[in-house]
Amino acid sequence: MTKTYRNIYIPERTEIKEKLYLTGDVCLFRVESERPFEYNPGQFFMVSLWGAGEVPISVASLSNKRREIEFCIRRAGKVTSAIHELQEGNFLWIRGPYGKAFPLEYAIGRDVLIVGGGIGLAPLRPVLQWGLQNKNSIKKISLLYGARTPEDIIFKEDLQEWAEKGINVVLTVDRPGDGWDGNIGLVTTLWHKAEIDFKDAVSFICGPEVMIKAAIKDLFFFGMPEERIITTLEAHMKCGVGKCGHCYNGEKYICTDGPVFTYKEIKEFNLL
Amino acid sequence: MTKEWILPKGHLSYWLRQLRNTASLIAPLRVDGDIVFKSLENIHEVSLDNPALLPSPKEFLFPQQESLFWVEDGTKVRQLYNNEKRFVFGVRSCDISALRLLDRFYLEGYEDPYYSLRRKNTVFISIVCNNPDPTCFCIGLGTGPYLEKGFDIQLTDLGDRYFVQAGNTKAIRIIRQWKFLFNKPKRVDYEDQYEVFLSSKARFQKRISLENVREYILAGKVKDSFWGSVTERCFECGGCVYECPLCTCFTVTDRVYSFGIDRVRLWDTCLFKGFTRMAGGILPNEKKILRTKRWYYHKLIHYPDVLGGFGCVGCGRCTVTCPGKIDMATIAIKLRDLQDND
Amino acid sequence: MIAMDKILTVCPYCGCGCGLYLHVDRGRLVGVSPSKSHPVNRGSLCVKGWNAHEFVIHPDRLLSPMIKDKGEFRECTWDIALDYVAHRLMEIRDRHGPDSIGILSSAKCTNEENYLMMKFARAVVGTNNIDHCARLCHSSTVGGLAAAFGSGAMTNSISEIRDAKVLFVIGSNTTEQHPMIGMHMLDAVDRGAILIVADPRRPQIAEFAHIHLRHKPGTDVALLMGIMHIIVNEGLVDIDFVRRRTENFDTFERILRDFHPHAVERITGVGIEEIRRVARIYAMEKRSMLFYAMGITQHITGVDNVRACANLVMLTGHIGLPSSGINPLRGQNNVQGACDMGALPNVYSGYQTVTNPRARRKFERAWKRKLPLKPGLTVVEMTEAAYEGRLKALYIMGENPLLSDPDLNHVNEAMKRLDLLIVQDIFPNETMQYAHVVLPACSFAEKDGTFTNTERRVQLLRKAIEPLGNSRPDWEIITELSRRMGYDMKYRGTYEIMEEIALLTPSYGGMLHHRLREVHGLQWPCPDVAHPGTPFLHRKKIAKGLGTFITVEFKPPAELPDDEYPFILTTGRIYFHYHTGTMCRRTSVLEREEPECYVEINPDDAEVLHIKDKSQVRVSSRRGSITVFARVTDRTPQGVVFIPFHYSEAAANLLTNAALDPTVKIPEYKVCAVKVEPLIKEDRRPRSIKIVDLEDLRIT
Ligand SMILES: Cc1cc2nc3c(=O)[nH]c(=O)nc-3n(C[C@H](O)[C@H](O)[C@H](O)COP(=O)(O)OP(=O)(O)OC[C@H]3O[C@@H](n4cnc5c(N)ncnc54)[C@H](O)[C@@H]3O)c2cc1C
Ligand code: SF4
Ligand code: SF4
Ligand code: SF4
Ligand code: FES
Repeated sequence: MTKTYRNIYIPERTEIKEKLYLTGDVCLFRVESERPFEYNPGQFFMVSLWGAGEVPISVASLSNKRREIEFCIRRAGKVTSAIHELQEGNFLWIRGPYGKAFPLEYAIGRDVLIVGGGIGLAPLRPVLQWGLQNKNSIKKISLLYGARTPEDIIFKEDLQEWAEKGINVVLTVDRPGDGWDGNIGLVTTLWHKAEIDFKDAVSFICGPEVMIKAAIKDLFFFGMPEERIITTLEAHMKCGVGKCGHCYNGEKYICTDGPVFTYKEIKEFNLL
Repeated sequence: MTKEWILPKGHLSYWLRQLRNTASLIAPLRVDGDIVFKSLENIHEVSLDNPALLPSPKEFLFPQQESLFWVEDGTKVRQLYNNEKRFVFGVRSCDISALRLLDRFYLEGYEDPYYSLRRKNTVFISIVCNNPDPTCFCIGLGTGPYLEKGFDIQLTDLGDRYFVQAGNTKAIRIIRQWKFLFNKPKRVDYEDQYEVFLSSKARFQKRISLENVREYILAGKVKDSFWGSVTERCFECGGCVYECPLCTCFTVTDRVYSFGIDRVRLWDTCLFKGFTRMAGGILPNEKKILRTKRWYYHKLIHYPDVLGGFGCVGCGRCTVTCPGKIDMATIAIKLRDLQDND
Repeated sequence: MIAMDKILTVCPYCGCGCGLYLHVDRGRLVGVSPSKSHPVNRGSLCVKGWNAHEFVIHPDRLLSPMIKDKGEFRECTWDIALDYVAHRLMEIRDRHGPDSIGILSSAKCTNEENYLMMKFARAVVGTNNIDHCARLCHSSTVGGLAAAFGSGAMTNSISEIRDAKVLFVIGSNTTEQHPMIGMHMLDAVDRGAILIVADPRRPQIAEFAHIHLRHKPGTDVALLMGIMHIIVNEGLVDIDFVRRRTENFDTFERILRDFHPHAVERITGVGIEEIRRVARIYAMEKRSMLFYAMGITQHITGVDNVRACANLVMLTGHIGLPSSGINPLRGQNNVQGACDMGALPNVYSGYQTVTNPRARRKFERAWKRKLPLKPGLTVVEMTEAAYEGRLKALYIMGENPLLSDPDLNHVNEAMKRLDLLIVQDIFPNETMQYAHVVLPACSFAEKDGTFTNTERRVQLLRKAIEPLGNSRPDWEIITELSRRMGYDMKYRGTYEIMEEIALLTPSYGGMLHHRLREVHGLQWPCPDVAHPGTPFLHRKKIAKGLGTFITVEFKPPAELPDDEYPFILTTGRIYFHYHTGTMCRRTSVLEREEPECYVEINPDDAEVLHIKDKSQVRVSSRRGSITVFARVTDRTPQGVVFIPFHYSEAAANLLTNAALDPTVKIPEYKVCAVKVEPLIKEDRRPRSIKIVDLEDLRIT
């Protein structure tokens, strides 16, 4: 038997080029891979650290020629804490990309509403970057982003840049500190600031489950068609390729059938 | 493509010995009161009188614990493949039927390299059940007690001889290697084989139509109170999943040794609440009832939709392993009774 | 090497003693499967059994002997380590006398190893200071039942459970702690048996109970006496049995009069009607089985609790028949065996007391050494002696007193004061930090021997793989050490040790390895090689002659809740973990299921204290305090909290009380007073988000 199998479980080596703390416990890792990867917003990689384990992490950047990938990782537990310990120049092992991407083609010729909460902005970042690149073919982009406190807002520079480039950026926090004079409360209280035509828009949502549920409910109420309410779901994942069974939920494997789902699918397959 | 032969019983041990010379041979052997699949050392220990053995032969394709790869010095990844060629003798039809779905599951989409290699290197020699256990219910599912196709080599016990069928070219080649042991089947052999099929079918104690159960569930007739009463009895042992020829879930863990890191996968089951644990201790399936339902729905509703067959082949193993007596068959029978009362 | 071998052996976790096959692929352990023909597990296993293969090859395994040198462990050869240990032990023995050395044997090790360990203590060291963790769970059983019947074990077989008509389960969460026995109980219930559960908490088994008595923790004696009072009053006593098979009934009856149901109701919090129902059902049905576990034994009144159970059984004549008897459910896989083998300070193997000159002479003749006269120290007394400096050396085999013993802060200090601490184990444990020498032992998969399960079934453990690294089976280590201390133990295998055991221990007389091989073990007593074993005890005659009614009195727990410490803490095991967690917490699935320690608290109490489910709380007693997560559940009654004791990072035994039962010195794990306070994590977000139910959406 000489045929060699492409082993889907073996990750490939990448080197950490830059490590940038966005908040106290969220860090942006820019890694360089040994071969180019093609990936789309919404997809994720299984990121490994030997001895600690493997976790799914969404891509936080657009696929580019420079073999660079950005991951935005929150310190949440065993593996993510261990990854945070790594330094520039260390190796991070990845395999992927896996999962379905955001159906960006829905955005063509429509208003785009992006709703993010907390670290949920990370997978949405490449959507916004894509939006800026394809400004001419979409109507208007609005970003509603909520964080716990002003310190927890990630990608502050990007937000600035996006606002300057014509994206309607609306921020809000749950608990304002001193010096915050922006919105206070949940993103779902800010619909009036979105300034888009809900009936002819597409929305991309990512954030904590409660936020997703509330946002879906409101958007649907405003008349957005259910197949254009698009969100990502989270689940425990071990393989990312539809084999381990951990992410199976209400008839779908989140890893291969998702993580991006439309509200239509969510309803049909009982996913939330 | 199927080809048939007759193997006189006296030739069996010689044939097994020959098989053993070309690859490792695993067969049901009698040890310490049980019959288990293990490497054949003494041909006379082979015992074919217990249909579905614990555990299911999926362990030969997807072992309970398997090293995926080793990492040395933090950078060198060494793949570990089991390249061993194997014959597994004495498997039952239900388990062969299970392979069809397992193949689809592991080989379609992203191909699982470990399963794939093992599968290619293993030849299953199955045997028609002429005396099913009281726990068996393959008959209602078309997954046994004998198969028309899908097997590598199938034997039917005709008393003094075996009716041998080879189901693919590889199998035919294997038989042809020892052609002198096999005779051409005659008319009477075909008739006898049919006779065995008939008498075997008549011996089943359980007949369950999972199709009906599925429709009943899909019609939304089964209430949560029913699942509650079932779930109460679950010991959370995982036995139903570990032993099931069709359950595929695993978990992955890293073992850090001083001389390298071993990434291992181990059987896992959805009946544990930590199976879906998310960061920060969130347990989406903390309620036991959700897990029992998930297990049952997955096998009965999801499998047919995705893989084209029930996630159960009626082997009856979970009936044996479940300490709470809430196995596939028992639940199905309870549901059938409910349905009758509706 | 064999490509796929399956070796029948015994589960290393609990006292059920399930038969399982270890799967070995070219010398590597790859899996487990249950034995279908085994009388206990019949093709099932609990989750621990199913994952029993994983910890064996865990990277944490101790693989080389180590000696502590300037505060750090250094690996060394066996010769060096054993010479060192032998030399130091002899030195201490010569300077301070043999009684300055203590030995802890292990309920996880085989009968052969326990036997050798007690031989080592008595013949080689010359002390009776040998004990093991049964002290901490079931010494009250040994003490209580032996006095009543002459034997301290389950009187029935597990396979008899399914034919019982009444199952009375006290202080045992059977389906979780002895899952396979729970399976048989469920089976009996399915076949029409009545299940009565008495437990302050609501364990899973109570879900199937026809009657669930939730008495206050620590009031078991009162409850049982109340039941007996009614049995006597209503004339439900089995008079024939009491007259012909027992003694001392009259004295007992006099005491019983004090336990008027009204008083009992007041003490236990259980209504008279309930007690009466239980008394009638239990007494009137003939095939009644009584089960109890740590909920009965781990009290300062542990022995009295057991005696009360024994009296109840005798009063109703429910003993000495199939499916009729008294059944202590032993925790550890071989705790029964370790007791049988005399790893106890006062008895030799087969419960032959050290103070009995005939027994002593017998062992002296066989071992060719003079043996010590005076009974030795128990586990908790050894710690005390170490603390006071009377005990200089401690040799611990397969135990972890630094997690399992009560009042840990005190134990810590005691260990520090030892001149020599030898730890022999498969994994590093908490106790090891104070050790001077560490000896790596083999796990159950790498050695031969026998285990005795809770139904007295002596079963063969078979070696499946070669010892890992430099580890050695415990019995080999003991023989080697003994040789170096000038006492040659010559055994070519564990079967030879068993031969010696059979020779000296009447109840094991016929337990030779080749006999155990054919069947799934034999149940003692099995006096000779032709004897088929004994499925149930006390047939036709109580083992000791007449069963004795021993008077008991009700004493409240040593520490009761007060204003400052208003809750009763009870500790115990949980399904996914086992004992001090050395094995199960190294099994990925088990550890994932319950990675964190928690405290169970009743919703009403939680509300008063503003404690939310899954929030962090601090639990403190007069002895210490730990931080754990709250689990709000009505399984635990008001005023009581429950903490599992498996977690070293939040060791429940920092809180527990070392108050001892006066007779057998079992500590009171099940009752102590604590307080619970919420710990508000500073970054807790106010819960302003309303949870939206998608059901609402579907309607629109
Ligand atoms: C599709 C997808 C994309 C994600 N993208 C990001 C991202 O871009 N940035 C980010 O910070 N986080 C992301 N997460 C969440 C991240 O994977 C978890 O925070 C992380 O797995 C926690 O692992 P841990 O070992 O640190 O935590 P622990 O709680 O110690 O987890 C132990 C094990 O449980 C599993 N596990 C626990 N929680 C999760 C979870 N939420 N999802 C999947 N597996 C889990 C992992 O296998 C892990 O090995 C994503 C999750 C999914 C499913
Ligand atoms: S569900 Fe049970 S009966 Fe069906 S295939 Fe699996 S183990 Fe066999
Ligand atoms: S075998 Fe039975 S008890 Fe065990 S997990 Fe499955 S359903 Fe539950
Ligand atoms: S019930 Fe006990 S002996 Fe049986 S598998 Fe579970 S832990 Fe092991
Ligand atoms: S992550 Fe393994 S199946 Fe989805």
